[in-house]
Amino acid sequence: MAPKITLDHISMKFGDFYAVHDISLDVEEGEYVTILGPSGCGKTTLIKVISGIWHPTEGRVLIDGEDVTDVPLEDRDMGYVFQNIALFPNLTNLANVEYGPRVRAWPPEEQRATAEKYLKLVAMLDRAGMFPGELSGGEQQKVAIARALASGSKILMLDEPLSALDARVRMELRYEIRRIVKELGITVLHVTHDQEEAMSVSDRIVLMRAGRVHDTGAPLDIYRNPQSIFAAYFIGETNLLEGYVSGWTKNGRTKVRLRGGHTVRAEKSAFATGDAVVISVRPENVYTADDGLKAKVVSVVFMGTFWRVRTVAETGDYLEYNVSGNHAAPRPGDQVMLVFNKRMTKVFARPAEGLEGAISLE
Amino acid sequence: MSLFVRINAISDSAKVRKAWFGLVCAIFICIIIVPSVFVVTKVFTDWGLISGVLGDSAEMAVIGRAVWNSFSIAFIVTILDVVAGLPIAWILVRKNFRGKRFLDTLLDMPLAFPTAVLGLSVVMFWGAPEGVTIPGLGICFSPYLMLVLLHIIFTYPYMVRSLSGILEQIEPNYETAAMTLGASRFTAVRTITLPLFRAGLVTGTTLCFARSLSETGGTYIALTLMGCESSFFTGPTYIMDNSGGALSGPMILISVIMILLALALLVLVKAVITHLHVSGNRVWPELGRKLSRGFAPKAKDALALFFMVLFVLVPSFYLFVYLSEPTAMDYGTLLGSIGTSFLVAGVAVLFDIVFGIPLAMYIARHRGERFAGILDNLVNIPLIIPTTALGLSLALFWGGTASTGAVAVVLVILGHISFTYPLVVRNITGAVEEVDPAYEETALTLGAKPLETFSKVLFPVIKSSVIAGAILAFTRSLGETGATVAISSSVNTVPVYIVNLVKEGAASYPAAAMCSIVLIAICFVLMFAVRAVMHRGSDRDA
Repeated sequence: MAPKITLDHISMKFGDFYAVHDISLDVEEGEYVTILGPSGCGKTTLIKVISGIWHPTEGRVLIDGEDVTDVPLEDRDMGYVFQNIALFPNLTNLANVEYGPRVRAWPPEEQRATAEKYLKLVAMLDRAGMFPGELSGGEQQKVAIARALASGSKILMLDEPLSALDARVRMELRYEIRRIVKELGITVLHVTHDQEEAMSVSDRIVLMRAGRVHDTGAPLDIYRNPQSIFAAYFIGETNLLEGYVSGWTKNGRTKVRLRGGHTVRAEKSAFATGDAVVISVRPENVYTADDGLKAKVVSVVFMGTFWRVRTVAETGDYLEYNVSGNHAAPRPGDQVMLVFNKRMTKVFARPAEGLEGAISLE
Repeated sequence: MSLFVRINAISDSAKVRKAWFGLVCAIFICIIIVPSVFVVTKVFTDWGLISGVLGDSAEMAVIGRAVWNSFSIAFIVTILDVVAGLPIAWILVRKNFRGKRFLDTLLDMPLAFPTAVLGLSVVMFWGAPEGVTIPGLGICFSPYLMLVLLHIIFTYPYMVRSLSGILEQIEPNYETAAMTLGASRFTAVRTITLPLFRAGLVTGTTLCFARSLSETGGTYIALTLMGCESSFFTGPTYIMDNSGGALSGPMILISVIMILLALALLVLVKAVITHLHVSGNRVWPELGRKLSRGFAPKAKDALALFFMVLFVLVPSFYLFVYLSEPTAMDYGTLLGSIGTSFLVAGVAVLFDIVFGIPLAMYIARHRGERFAGILDNLVNIPLIIPTTALGLSLALFWGGTASTGAVAVVLVILGHISFTYPLVVRNITGAVEEVDPAYEETALTLGAKPLETFSKVLFPVIKSSVIAGAILAFTRSLGETGATVAISSSVNTVPVYIVNLVKEGAASYPAAAMCSIVLIAICFVLMFAVRAVMHRGSDRDA
């Protein structure tokens, strides 16, 4: 059975700067957890601490309840896949994959058999005799994954494994990775700044910001029901409208008066009348209608399957919505009337640091 | 500035650029390469002289011994340098600690000492004149052992520099990756990092080997102090001992032997290190773990530091005890020789920079092309040829060893250009290779002319390497004895003056030591001044 990872109040300080600040987290057996966050949020630092590359300033790392904080890197038995791939350039692909078994002094025939088994798993067996430099980036990363798994580790750390690769390769490889680790029943911690990648592969997303855990949940939950403006903004795309609570509908939905006096209805919330709030509504939940919020089209961009229409509303807020690629799109300068799917909105308290501060990546 | 504008305008023409590059190549071949190996042709033109020596079995035995001493000392010293230098290179690159810059500077100091000075200092430290006896152990330092101790000092910094240069380029992630796969640090280094080290090892061994092979002044002084300068020879001291008079068969013969052996060895070293397959398949996980933790790595670092302090630093600085012995000095002659030294070194370095940069740029920008490859290998030749042999060769090429006055000074300068040129070109080639050609291309697309592109875009980036190369070349020139003596006996540079003082006998040792101290002081002031200037410039890079 795959191990369970527990983080107990982990902090990592560089000088006076907390790269990771008091993080506690459980990763269940065989779970695929993605640590998502903007650059510099401490996500890579966190998995380097977990895998033992760095020793935390405070806190403990536990594997299956056992404290491994002081166990050195080479004895932790965790596979680690690097962003810059780091295949040994002086060894063939086969020898790279054999490396883990080799430094554990397994019998030679077992080393070979294991390496071949894992190369086959990532469909790279036919490249076994080549050197890493002769492979494409995606192929190299597959070999690196085989190498990380070959020593039999039941925990895999993926440190932005796909960010150096082409878009198409990245898409294919992320499903490939999920297939392999689920097949082997491995516990995975995957670090990425790509929210789409995080949503498509993980069982659970841990959203980090400025060294702390900001939000956590299954991809669908965190997308549909974000707990903060930052989560709503960073995971997926969203429109943010500032206003004041002006009352309640019969069904208990929140009525919000936007700037300029226009009132809209949003999801239920626990605010009091007069509270300053922000409504979050994703572009796919904004529609054009015969009546609603008046807006002027600013730009229209073709995204492949749909048009992304950017407008500025009469309230002064920017609002984006989608039009199916099969339909004609409006032109810049056109007037449109916009309405929301009320059930798909979220109401947040207006942040003290201002909207810009709340969604800043730092 | 109008001159710059004019040249800049001309530099746009491909023909002009070709002509300029042709000139640089011609100078490189005619002034640096051909004269360096010219002595080899004497084998064919003056066979009479040589066959005479070949028949003289007593002389041949001396020559054979001298060559053997040179090569075996160089070999032992290089091995010691690798073993003791690797941990220090490691510490300098991978570890961060207070005083690291200080250690870094300390390491460069022996490079700034003229080797003649080091010869004096080392023998003083280990016990002149009859060799030190370690009480209770009955160990007596033979001249051979003394030379090994001496040669370690001026080769060691070269080795550490080469190794740390390569180590800096090796991705530290490889080691981390190996450790996540279960390898102890010892095993990770042994199986991954060391095999990636080969290029650095080739450069380091070549430099050390060549430096040890060609060193004359310090070796000669050490032998003189031990009273065996006419009974124990290395190749260069043999040539020196015979120089000044008429051209003789033994000199030509030993020069040719040294040149050919050095070249052959260079090729051999390169081939062996590049193709050597160390089977790293066996691992000892338990042993590796023991060696990676706790006491063992600390002991290794401590031992390496101990070696560096005892065998490199302390003997170099031992000379300064003479400061406590006031002595009468002929300051007039000293200042005159300092002037000569600076004139020679200054002109040589200036020449190196002007004609070295175009060649370095060509080599760096045409990597993988045949002509660039040939140039690249040719540049190394003056570096590995023993400088005494090189000096002799040069003197023969430019017409006789007996020139005097201004002509002699010019010849000495040409000689110093030969062995400093490679140092400058090496440094600049490395730097240019690091610079993305896209910067220059961008400047050209923005309408800058080639010369302007060089002076405003490339040069500011490589400036610190140019200066580093220049310092290296300058100190190397200041410290050179063998080539100077072999070319002319009338050009009195500081090292030559010091050697002559030592030759006069024990009464002049304090004066020789004082000269050395004055020279070192001047060198340091110069080095620090240049470093300060360089630092101001490089703040922007950081």
